Amino acid sequence: MSTTQVHANLTEEQVRQLSGDFDEPEWMLETRLEALDALEELDMPDVIRTPGRDWTNLHELDYESLVDPLNAAENKDQVGPDEVEVLAWSEAVDEHEALLEEYFGSVIDPQENYLTALSTALFSTGTVVYVPEGVDAEDVTIRTEQNSRSLFNYTLVVAEESSSVTILERQSTGAEQDEQYYSGIVEVVAGENSNVQYGSLQNLSEEAYNFSYKRGDADTYATINWIEVNLGTQLTKSSVSTELNGDSSETQIVGAFYGHDDQHFDLDAKVWHRAEHTTADLVTRGVTDDVARSVYEGVQDVGRDAWDTSSYQRENTLMLSDESEADASPKLIINNHDTEASHSATVGQIDQEDLFYMTSRGIDPRSARNMLVEGFFVPVLEEVAVDELREDLEELVAARLRQRD
Amino acid sequence: MSSEQEHLKTTNTEDRFAFKNEHKAALTAEKGLDEETIRLMSEDKDEPEWMLERRLRALKVFQEMPMPTGWPGQPDLSEVDVNKIVPYIRPDVEMREGTDDWENLPDEIKDTFDKLGIPEAEKEALSGVGAQYESEVVYQNMKSQWEEKGVIFMNMDRAVQEHPEIVKEYFMTTCVPPSDNKFAALHGAIWSGGSFVYVPEDVTVEMPVQAYFRMNTEGMGQFEHTLIVAEPGSEVHYIEGCSAPKYSAFNLHSGGVEVFVKEDAHVQYSTVQNWSRNTYNLNTKRAIVEENGTMEWISGSMGSKATMLYPCSILKGRGATDTHITIAFAGEGQDIDTGAKVYHNAPETKSTIESKSISKDGGRTNYRGLVHIADGAENSSTAVECDALMFDNESTSDTMPYMEIEESKVDVAHEATVGKIGDEDIFYLQSRGLDDDDAKKMIVAGFIEPITEELPIEYAVELNRLIELEMEGSLG
Repeated sequence: MSTTQVHANLTEEQVRQLSGDFDEPEWMLETRLEALDALEELDMPDVIRTPGRDWTNLHELDYESLVDPLNAAENKDQVGPDEVEVLAWSEAVDEHEALLEEYFGSVIDPQENYLTALSTALFSTGTVVYVPEGVDAEDVTIRTEQNSRSLFNYTLVVAEESSSVTILERQSTGAEQDEQYYSGIVEVVAGENSNVQYGSLQNLSEEAYNFSYKRGDADTYATINWIEVNLGTQLTKSSVSTELNGDSSETQIVGAFYGHDDQHFDLDAKVWHRAEHTTADLVTRGVTDDVARSVYEGVQDVGRDAWDTSSYQRENTLMLSDESEADASPKLIINNHDTEASHSATVGQIDQEDLFYMTSRGIDPRSARNMLVEGFFVPVLEEVAVDELREDLEELVAARLRQRD
Repeated sequence: MSSEQEHLKTTNTEDRFAFKNEHKAALTAEKGLDEETIRLMSEDKDEPEWMLERRLRALKVFQEMPMPTGWPGQPDLSEVDVNKIVPYIRPDVEMREGTDDWENLPDEIKDTFDKLGIPEAEKEALSGVGAQYESEVVYQNMKSQWEEKGVIFMNMDRAVQEHPEIVKEYFMTTCVPPSDNKFAALHGAIWSGGSFVYVPEDVTVEMPVQAYFRMNTEGMGQFEHTLIVAEPGSEVHYIEGCSAPKYSAFNLHSGGVEVFVKEDAHVQYSTVQNWSRNTYNLNTKRAIVEENGTMEWISGSMGSKATMLYPCSILKGRGATDTHITIAFAGEGQDIDTGAKVYHNAPETKSTIESKSISKDGGRTNYRGLVHIADGAENSSTAVECDALMFDNESTSDTMPYMEIEESKVDVAHEATVGKIGDEDIFYLQSRGLDDDDAKKMIVAGFIEPITEELPIEYAVELNRLIELEMEGSLG
């Protein structure tokens, strides 16, 4: 932590103004101010480091010039069926203070690292999804179009006992500027026997920088499924994780990415098994083309009391160009022996035999290659239970392939 | 600085003499490793000036480098106080001939030997406290056989005297420079003993070269250096004789191994380490493999309190091959953090890593691996497979592979599994009349078979026996 930091030009006044605009209660303002104060001491999020190199360099970003909290602008669309409350931040502050007081910052510590603290102090847009007990709802949509240099977004999902919800979030860029910074924090609280499906499609401008932190807390018999798709930005640091704190809770993290040009994706998927009979399944597939680079870290952490754990992870990267780079580190941390766990990772290029077979059937090489890339994503697409998200992903992958010569 | 200079000024020959004999007092002294100690040591070994210079340079690096910290889940090294290292080296100089007594060994180690069914004379040799007469004879016979072919196999200290031109070229220059890590630097400063193996072009050493002999005379050496140079087309299998639990008062082992595998050469390096449970085992082992050369690392890690060891191959020439086969067993209070590193720096290079670990009674094993495929290392492939077996809920097993892939025309695969001993397997064996203990032993023996297969039979037997002993929990 030695390079330029943003807090030099951030003031308490700015934070007070943001909080005041939402008419936030005093405790919430305090949380923001404490996060602002903590910036001084906090480190950047952990990135993988092996002898001689950091796999992602977050320090070189010029946050000072990127972050402009009082000039945030976005186009927001947040809707859901009647039985679910989908509230803009100002409404949530108004209507659900008790809920916010209980859960805001409960899953992700605002001061976990420099970027979470920055996000907490400065967020100016947010959504609260409240699913009452027993409600079964699909089609909650949150679309955020960024129209300013920086945008800080906060999302809280609270699913009460035996409820079920599917949320589809998208980030895109509207008015494009040279460089933009998007930061999003998502906290999911899944009550007993609830089922939360959270899909995210990040398709920001390829000039943008993105920091995204998503974490869920699963109670007894609860299920949290994440779908994490990354296509846009020049640099993304994304973290998706679930704490399985309740007995028999489950999680699935499905990831897909496609990096081209000089994109850099640093993606991590983590699960903490903290109770008995929990299950986790982590599946990520991605493509790197041109001089793009992917960094993947997967962690399956099985705690001492996590009896009868099942935990699986696989990660596959397909390299389409010789200049691209793919780094992977799938980690297993096992403290309970009553565990079945496995992980695997592969990196490779398009199978020449497959390609030969297809061209020998009369398909031109370019189409054959595109079909194989599309086919490569199938095992992940199959795990995407949200039809709309799956179709969009297929379409975006196809479009990106068409763009290729 | 000023106190050091003062120390230098007041040190005359008599002082040095006294200093050497007062090793008991020295053990209690809390003093950092300094230039004076290194000079004394080098002088005692009658080393040429260039070696002293290398030691001093390494010392400087050691003093400047930080301790390794911040690795996820790394073993606790807080007990390893580098300021207390110096006293440990003094007995090394002092007791080169092995003045310790069999009777002074702790019971657990004597028990182990008894249970292994090793004869008394051999026990003393294995524990590094006595000379092994019969082996000396065998050694002499084998030695002349090799010498005819131009093979050199000798103590590293002697090699410095007798083959300075080779040692000067290879010793901690390109393979393991002192700047590699703090303990490599420490090693460079205070290394002592070890083996030097030189195999001339196109010579095949049919029988494994074993370092047991070295341990007879250098039993206390905990900073031994192994240098293997295999010239083009040659072949050698080196076995490090750490298959006995070496007991000593020292608590830090920081060896260095450098292997040079030239074009078309083939080196196999096998080791079964079973250090006493008060030892921190912080080694650096590396091979540079030239075109079409083959390097094989076979290792079993049983002993020590904490081990941090990641044997490394740098595949420098086209078509170079690496094989790692490792097994780690961690019992009560042990933290075995080990793995493999491979740098694919040339096209058509290939590596295979097979790692097995067993943890029991609160032991921790970790596979920490790094596979790096450089841009331009096209048509390279690597396959990493790690399997962990856990016995109980006090134990821990982690897998942390790192893969850095800069080249697209490659084939990279990593796979790891963790599981407990299968209840069904045990049930099956029990239903065939085996008791619970025997069933578990049999499952473990099957689990580690890929490793034992690669070892010469006596090592395989010993490894199996050691594991059986661990399983009984009879060693505490």
